[in-house]
Amino acid sequence: MVFELFKGRGDSQVDAIEEQIGEMLATTHETLLMATDALFRRVPPDDIAKPIRKADKSVNKVERSIRRALVVHSGVHGAQADAPLLFTYMSISKDIERIGDITKDMWDLADAGVDLSMVPEKDVIEQSVAKLADSIVEAARIFAERDAEGAASFLNAGDEERDRYEALMLEQVDSTADARTAVSRALLYRYVNRIIAHLMNVVTAVVMPLDRLDYWDEDKMDRT
Amino acid sequence: MDTPALNVEEGRSLPKWIRIVAVVGLLYLFLVGVKSLESGIKAFGADASERLFSNISNPVAGLFAGVLATVLVQSSSVTTSTIVGLVGGGVLPLSSAVPMIMGANIGTTVTNTLVSVGHIRQGQEFKRAFAGATVHDFFNLLTVAIALPLELATGFLSKSAAALTEVFRGQDALSGAAPSSSPIKEAVGYPVDVIKDALEGAGMGTGVEGTLLLVVGIGLIFVALAMITRNMKMVMAGRIEQSLNTMLDKGAGIGAMVLGMAITVAVQSSSITTSILIPMVGAGILTLKNAFPVTLGANVGTTITALLASVAAESPEGLTIALVHTLFNLFGILVFYPLPAMRNIPIRLAVGLAELAQKNKGWVLGYVVGLFVVLPLATIAVLR
Repeated sequence: MVFELFKGRGDSQVDAIEEQIGEMLATTHETLLMATDALFRRVPPDDIAKPIRKADKSVNKVERSIRRALVVHSGVHGAQADAPLLFTYMSISKDIERIGDITKDMWDLADAGVDLSMVPEKDVIEQSVAKLADSIVEAARIFAERDAEGAASFLNAGDEERDRYEALMLEQVDSTADARTAVSRALLYRYVNRIIAHLMNVVTAVVMPLDRLDYWDEDKMDRT
Repeated sequence: MDTPALNVEEGRSLPKWIRIVAVVGLLYLFLVGVKSLESGIKAFGADASERLFSNISNPVAGLFAGVLATVLVQSSSVTTSTIVGLVGGGVLPLSSAVPMIMGANIGTTVTNTLVSVGHIRQGQEFKRAFAGATVHDFFNLLTVAIALPLELATGFLSKSAAALTEVFRGQDALSGAAPSSSPIKEAVGYPVDVIKDALEGAGMGTGVEGTLLLVVGIGLIFVALAMITRNMKMVMAGRIEQSLNTMLDKGAGIGAMVLGMAITVAVQSSSITTSILIPMVGAGILTLKNAFPVTLGANVGTTITALLASVAAESPEGLTIALVHTLFNLFGILVFYPLPAMRNIPIRLAVGLAELAQKNKGWVLGYVVGLFVVLPLATIAVLR
């Protein structure tokens, strides 16, 4: 640890926190793909139980590490520390940690016996989840590049997607399918909806001030 | 359009290399300050010096004078550098300076104690932060409680430091031979000689000359050290963060002690190092047990300033008193760190005081004002 004082360029650790956020998003993307593989039985759920748990723990560990780094940063920089920025990182890392939890919940569905490999809407669900995985990659890019235009279009598209999944979830209330099918679909749509919401929270930081993070859906007039 | 949360504005900051060049210049000014202080005191004449320091010839009074001086200037580096200048100039006896150096060690802990008071409204957080700060106090107080009587009885610190001075500066260093010279000393002495010549040329009396040199000296020491610390903190901030993050991942121990020392040497202020730890301890991400070795390292690291000041001191005693400062802190570490039972003494005392302070905030005021202001003033008044 002493050598850290003398090696490297000695840049601000804010850059390291940014890298950790990118790392968290990359891990959740990986976990989502693994959970999807389990749901569509491309792999038996049991076979990826360990990697899923390991990835989940890794995301949690990075989140804790970011929190510690934020305390260290504010301790070292004192009044010069950019407090709103630190709060933003805190908020974003919590959102990504939640994404990690939800992707694990998706695997839990597969582990509980939900098998989407033979269902009639298989292709639609598979495409939706693939699109979701791409959204994680896109959110990471927008965040890293501070792409305001990309953020705006991501958020608008996210709104539509969330409305769609909300409707799909509510459809299950009137579903005539058996309870196992209806509940598993409702949960799955809910999970996808929540992942999109958390990704939107991450992306709002690129275009919205700290006090309005997470409240994009309450502020539709400001989106244009 | 509102400002996005991630709108990181690039600070208008000087390039690092300019800051480093500035630090080299400031170090030179710091040494000029030590030299000027030494010359100023000398200009008053031997009698005046004797009168000035006779009030603190009692070692306990000297100890508390060191505490008070450091609390007032909020920097043990300023106090110890001044003491080195005085000892180096032959105006303050080594035996009187040793307790003052120990007092400076105690006085410097007031800064992080005050930082911990910033958490006073958050119960548990304050308790942790206050314990994190006062563990430094208790370590210093306990070390003084052992080392000062031992030093008075045996001179173990000053004799060891004198022996080391002989090793570093040659056999005849302390034998009364003419003061040694070096290119650094000549470079440092030149501006002071110019000022002295100018003052003498203006026909000012020795009293005015001495006062002006004294003011210039203390002013340069104070300003140069403050600016060195500020610039080095800006240069090192990213690296300090990085190393502290690594420490939090890997745990503490000897490495943490070396880290505390290295950070303090880099920023020339133990208060910076120990104050950085307080929010971390308060937040609970750094345990008191793990913060303790960093604090001990900072205690040793801060002695580099007095060692640097000794470069400008005329006589080898300047180096001797600077080495006393280092040896005193190393002695404290040897007594209170290797054995867990001993290590736990300052930690438990700090936790105990923090518990009292959490329950009754009057303890905070009583402790800070009592230890750092009332006790030193009362002791000096009684023992002078």
